[in-house]
Amino acid sequence: MLKRKFTPSHVKVLDSPPMLILCIVLAVGLYIGCFAGLISNKAMRYLVQIFLYITMGEMWNLLSGYAGMTSLGQQLYIGLAGYSVAMATSPLFGLPLFGALLLGAGISVVVSLFMSLILFRLEGMYFSIATLVAAEAFCMLFFAWKFVGQGAGMTIRINPYPTLQEICILSMTICVVALALVYGLLRTRVGLGLTAMRDDITSAASVGVNIFSHKLLVYVIAAFFTALAGGIFFVNKGMIYPDSGFGISWTISMVFIAIIGGTGTVSGPIIGAIIYVFLNEKLADYPGWSNIILGTITILVILFLPNGIMGTLQKKLHFEIFSSKRFSFKLKKAAKEK
Amino acid sequence: MSDVLLTIEKLSVMYGDFIAVEEASLTVDEGQIVSLIGLNGAGKTTLMSAVMGLHKPASGKVVFNGKDITSAHTDRIVAQGLSLIPQGGRCFNRMSVQDNLLMGSFPKTARKGAKETLAHIYELFPVLKEKMRDPAGSLSGGQRQMVAIGRALMARPKCLIFDEISLGLSPAVIKDIYHRIRTINELDKTAVILIEQDTRRALRMSDSFYVMLKGRTVLSGKSDEVDAETLKDAYFGI
Repeated sequence: MLKRKFTPSHVKVLDSPPMLILCIVLAVGLYIGCFAGLISNKAMRYLVQIFLYITMGEMWNLLSGYAGMTSLGQQLYIGLAGYSVAMATSPLFGLPLFGALLLGAGISVVVSLFMSLILFRLEGMYFSIATLVAAEAFCMLFFAWKFVGQGAGMTIRINPYPTLQEICILSMTICVVALALVYGLLRTRVGLGLTAMRDDITSAASVGVNIFSHKLLVYVIAAFFTALAGGIFFVNKGMIYPDSGFGISWTISMVFIAIIGGTGTVSGPIIGAIIYVFLNEKLADYPGWSNIILGTITILVILFLPNGIMGTLQKKLHFEIFSSKRFSFKLKKAAKEK
Repeated sequence: MSDVLLTIEKLSVMYGDFIAVEEASLTVDEGQIVSLIGLNGAGKTTLMSAVMGLHKPASGKVVFNGKDITSAHTDRIVAQGLSLIPQGGRCFNRMSVQDNLLMGSFPKTARKGAKETLAHIYELFPVLKEKMRDPAGSLSGGQRQMVAIGRALMARPKCLIFDEISLGLSPAVIKDIYHRIRTINELDKTAVILIEQDTRRALRMSDSFYVMLKGRTVLSGKSDEVDAETLKDAYFGI
């Protein structure tokens, strides 16, 4: 029995054309369902949340699970995007939804470039704390800013206000693009460098991985997509105030989603987000208890399923959905050639 | 006389206000084995990480293969043909042995002959071929050290820096690894810098040596010409 340990050769990679077709069919089905109005409003409300949380969870997973940058302050970009949308679409500026979302994401990218100058000097725990502090600082800034309504926040007034159907389609598009991008990125040389960085940063540097540029790329991509998802979230919600934009609860949800699903797997955050949204809905009846319950679940998962749901399943059943490992393929091909 | 491959000129490295390396100088000729010896905290590792661009030196100059690489990015330096094997056999633990080795050909310049180099490394370390599919984290300390060496070799370096390769290994394994370092040096004409605490072994292996003390290179010379007393005085700073 001892011989049946994990080796790449045992892993069955589910990335054959049928699997890809299944994914495409699923996505197209959802699109058609949304467009044709086959999906009820209640289901759509769930779907919007799931899509947005998948995007955020996937980005956090890319940061922490692959690049080894455990950020506790991604809400910085969610808040910035939310406020950007609220301000840009207000009667004063009157930007359309698309422009406002892109503006929010653009501002987030600029801020993330600036933040990287400060944050990348720190590593590990110190990096995590600094990201959290940065988000809190922005929270304070918006608390004090009269134009954005200080603590009372802003109501989002887009003209014309997008329907739930449009929001659903938009969030799904962003989610699909984000997933494809993460998978694509991990399959490239950059992804390889990231995986190496996660395992040992000094060794990665000594084999010639440019640590700074890899970190920067991932951080900026994460900021961009987290901001897009955050912007849409607040369009869906209709209002924003400092605590809802820059609150630590965002990080709690992202960490929960990534850990439950399995950090370091592309499919993990999808499962994690679905579980999170449903749990969140069920726990809404028990305010105050919800975070305790979520925390307990996280601890239990860390203790008993340290690889998360997808990670454990993949290890136990020896399969991987759309593996980001490239060398395993080379090995397979080499074996075939023999 | 063979050509000079690496020159370190009066390099200083600071950690905040603390001077870790002060005006250290060192020269390595092509195909030469140079040992860098000294006590804990003498600045050996810091000097080499500054050469590799992992730390920014405060002053001084590093020239490798005729090019100034002072403060260059590590990935550029590796692409030039200078590789470091970090202390303690650090591998990518969750990747397989083969993936670890292939990671070594990460620089674009190294990817051309990756297949041949890989075969060559498996020849050098047959044990790695047996374990090529195992995660590197499951290997023993000595084997992990071999993975780290193999990974550095994948970049086809002109000069290899071994940072305390013998740390935490049994004497038999150390002997074996040193034997292979000799082979690497002879076969590929790769210059080698050995960072060591074990003075006797280092001197036996190397052509020339440098002694570091409190951040300075205090003594240097040909390994077979040094007398024990001078060396001891320099080593302990008496």
